[in-house]
Amino acid sequence: MSTSESPTRDRVIAMVAKILKLDASKINTSDRLREDLGMDSLASLELLSCISDELDVDIELDEAMELVTIDDACAFVDRVTAEQRGAGAAS
Amino acid sequence: MAQALPPEPIAVGLENQEALGAGLSVAHATPAEAEALPLVRAESTRLVASLADAAAIDRDGAIPLALRQAVADAGLFGLTVPEEHGGAGFSLKAACAVVADLAAIERSTAIMIGLHSGLGVRPLVELGSAELQARMFPEIVSGARIASFAATEAEAGSDLTGIRTTGTVVGDQLRVDGEKVYVTNGGFAGCYTVLARTPGLGGQRAHSLVFVPRETPGVTIGPEEDKLGIRGSSTVTVTFEGAMVPQGMILGQAGRGIDQAHAALSWGRTLMAAGCVGTARAALHLALSHVTSRQQFGKPIGDFTASRAHVARMAARLYASETLVRWVGHALASGQPIDELSLGAKVLCSEASFEICDRALQLHGALGFIEPTGVARLTRDCRITRIFEGANDVLLVRGGAAVLGRKPAPAPARLSLPGPLEREAKAWDALRSRFTDATASVRAEHGVGVVRHQLVLQAVARANLALLAALGCLFRAQARPDELTLARHATEDLLFEAEQHLNDLARAVRDEARVHAVSDQLYAPLSRITKEDPS
Repeated sequence: MSTSESPTRDRVIAMVAKILKLDASKINTSDRLREDLGMDSLASLELLSCISDELDVDIELDEAMELVTIDDACAFVDRVTAEQRGAGAAS
Repeated sequence: MAQALPPEPIAVGLENQEALGAGLSVAHATPAEAEALPLVRAESTRLVASLADAAAIDRDGAIPLALRQAVADAGLFGLTVPEEHGGAGFSLKAACAVVADLAAIERSTAIMIGLHSGLGVRPLVELGSAELQARMFPEIVSGARIASFAATEAEAGSDLTGIRTTGTVVGDQLRVDGEKVYVTNGGFAGCYTVLARTPGLGGQRAHSLVFVPRETPGVTIGPEEDKLGIRGSSTVTVTFEGAMVPQGMILGQAGRGIDQAHAALSWGRTLMAAGCVGTARAALHLALSHVTSRQQFGKPIGDFTASRAHVARMAARLYASETLVRWVGHALASGQPIDELSLGAKVLCSEASFEICDRALQLHGALGFIEPTGVARLTRDCRITRIFEGANDVLLVRGGAAVLGRKPAPAPARLSLPGPLEREAKAWDALRSRFTDATASVRAEHGVGVVRHQLVLQAVARANLALLAALGCLFRAQARPDELTLARHATEDLLFEAEQHLNDLARAVRDEARVHAVSDQLYAPLSRITKEDPS
């Protein structure tokens, strides 16, 4: 799923650009963390940890390991954020 | 009927215990190797033992050309090259047995063959085009073109993602620019598998493996490094300045270089671990010779319990090391992933070999500190193995993240080994349960943020590794009742260590706060100096 309309997209791309010291305008949401952005498993976990802190979402390790692209990360953050809001509203 | 393996802590497949036990009890991976391997081991051992003067190689800082030519003539540069290309076609497991034998005689020669056979050759075997393979393998097998792997850079060691060397598309060519450091075999290599950023081939940070022949214009080989150990092995800086190669020299799919490099490193780390087994074997042999002949207080020092404790510990560590190396080879031959296993073997074997050398030195007393006994050289030779092909500190962080990143098995099967090792199996199972609970707590408490808790990740990796090695020792002994005494001792040691690491895990976050407080104090004045220094 494309998350080009996602409110988290720009923030995630800004974080990727900052961590990898890249030009944000050259990052596509379809970029793969490993193959296109050259991140290994540890570097991609660092990124997702930053996302977790910055956007205040809980990310489980095994779920993080399954994220392949920036799109995946954005979609994941959107889903978890919605779930957390739902849980907050219900409580 | 064979019982399925318990799924944790191992990340390998659920093969049956009998097959694993049998696999861990032998050095070969196939029936064909069972016949060929003993002959190759005997011949290569005889050859290197007759030609390699370890002390002279250490002193001179070079492997003599005659020795290099002799091992080439014996076919050792074709060890892991497929038979259809003129090589022996040995599996990783069999190649490890040969490398361990060589390392027990002379470590630099073992490094040369091991590096060539793993990191040097395997990317070409697995990823090279048919045309490139057909052109290069005859020279590689003959030893006319020794292989090397160039990944590390001044600013990119254990973190390969920081690599700056680039491969730029220019027409149908690739222009390679950059500088690689600590290139093993580099001084006499005939080809380099180079990890380079290739932004035109994939995303803007994509990497690829590029095969660069030595004679390519723009390739410059630097002087040999003056090293603490493995002084006969070649370690140089290789510079690429506008080195043009055809795009067909890109190995495998362009843009997948990081993953491809990690796959090659699995071979490299295992072969290096095998070398550690060889060095450890040599150190134990020297120690046994010494303690059974050296007399103090009217009897051989080997009679004293304190000496026996050293010897038993050394033998146990060696047993665990050899078991883990064989496990990697067995897993690969069984079609299972070896990234985590090879990482574990590298860490455990490098640490074990240094400990074994250190204990051998201790048993020798002052004699061990003097070069002619050879123990000092063995100790120096194995020190680097905790650093190269991934510093153990970083590998343990990676290993911990990999363990925690797996979905935990809901109800792992109990380990049951009726017979003489039943008590050890029960102890293993109890610790495994504790490990499962501890990792579940870490996952729940930290989530992905655990990546910032390096001591937590290291403790998880170490506990996992000790449990894994203990399991291997138990299974190996099932197939080799003659090894029961040693296996039991090795298992007891490993379980004790696993328990210690679980205790470390319980207090890791607190330890992190403490070490940060101390190091902050130590760094503060240094930071001030840096800030005030106008240069």
